[in-house]
Amino acid sequence: MPQISSLILLLLAGSLSFIGCERHPYSQGEIIYKYNCANCHMDDGSGLAKLIPSLDKSRLTLSEPAKLVCLIRNGLPVNKLTGQEMPPNTILNEVELTNLINYLGSKYALKPQTVQAPEVKKMLAGCQTH
Amino acid sequence: MESNKNSLMKIISILSLTSVMALLVMGCRNEPQRLPYLGNIEVNGSDTIYHTVPDIALINQDSQSFRISSLGNKVILADFFFTSCPSICPKVQKQMLRLYDRYKDDDRVMMISHTIDQRNDSVEVLKRYAHNLEVDIHKWTFVTGQKDSIFDLADQYFVSVVEDPLAAKGFDHSGRIILVDKNRRVRGFCEGTDPESVTAFFDTVDKLLKEEYQ
Repeated sequence: MPQISSLILLLLAGSLSFIGCERHPYSQGEIIYKYNCANCHMDDGSGLAKLIPSLDKSRLTLSEPAKLVCLIRNGLPVNKLTGQEMPPNTILNEVELTNLINYLGSKYALKPQTVQAPEVKKMLAGCQTH
Repeated sequence: MESNKNSLMKIISILSLTSVMALLVMGCRNEPQRLPYLGNIEVNGSDTIYHTVPDIALINQDSQSFRISSLGNKVILADFFFTSCPSICPKVQKQMLRLYDRYKDDDRVMMISHTIDQRNDSVEVLKRYAHNLEVDIHKWTFVTGQKDSIFDLADQYFVSVVEDPLAAKGFDHSGRIILVDKNRRVRGFCEGTDPESVTAFFDTVDKLLKEEYQ
C-alpha cells in the first residue's frame, strides 16, 4: 500500500513539473504582446492578409533588437499600398520593451538575441524619430 | 422493509415510464428547430410582423449605389468597422475572413462590411482595403453612406456604434457579426472578437441556410 501511494505521489510530481515546463519562458512578454500588439497582429502573430504583416514573415527585423525597439516605439507611417499605419507605442517602458522583444525574438526570430533593460535604454536613445 | 422496497420499485417504474413517454413525444417532433427572430415582434390580428433591417441606399467600394435588396434574396453576414481602427476591427475582420473562406463558393451567402468612419473611409479607401484583404468584392461588399443613416442602420442590426473622443480614433463600437435571412430579418449573431463564438456561429449559419433553402 505505501508503495502505491508513493508511486501516485511520484506521478503527480512528475506531471506538475511537466506542466511547469510547458509555460513560455517569456510569459511577461507574452502578456505585454497580448495587450499592445495582438489587436492587429493577432494572438498567433498571423496578421491580416496584406493589411497587417504576419510576424512569422518578418523574421529579419525581429532578429535585430535595436531595429525592433525603434519600430515599436515610433511605429510606421501610413503605407501607401495598404492605407495602414503602425501606431507608435509610447507607453511601454524599457523593462516592458525588453520583455516584449525577448518574447518576440524567442518566438519568431531566426537567430534569437536576448536583450537586457539597460541595452534597450541605449537602443531607445539611438532611435531616429520621423 | 418489504414495503419500503415496494415503494422504491414503484417510484423507479413511474420515473422510467415518464422518461420513456418524454422521449417518445420528443421523437415525434420531426420539425427541426428554427432559429429565433431577433428584435420586436408585432402581432397584428393574424399577421406577425418581425423586425427587419431597412433596405437603405448605400454606396459600395466602386462608387455604385448599393442596397441589400440589390444582392437578390441572400443570407447576409454583416459587420461594422473602419479601415484605420486600431482596436477590435482587425480581429473581427480576421473572423469575417474565416466566414468568407467557409462560404466563398456558396452563392446563397453574401457579406457586407459597413464603415462607421465616413470622413476617412472614402470609396477609394474601401476599395484598397478590400484589395489588400484579398477578397472578392462580388461576394463581400464594403459600403459607406450618410453618417446618420449608417449609425441608424447599425442600431437596426443591434450593433452599438458611438462616437467617443476618448476611444481609439474616436469610435466605440461592438464587434458583432450579424446573420440576416433572405427577408432581411435578424436571425443570429456572434462576437467577432472571439474565435470560439465564431466557430459556434458556423452551425447557426448552416441552420439558417437549411431553413431558407429546403
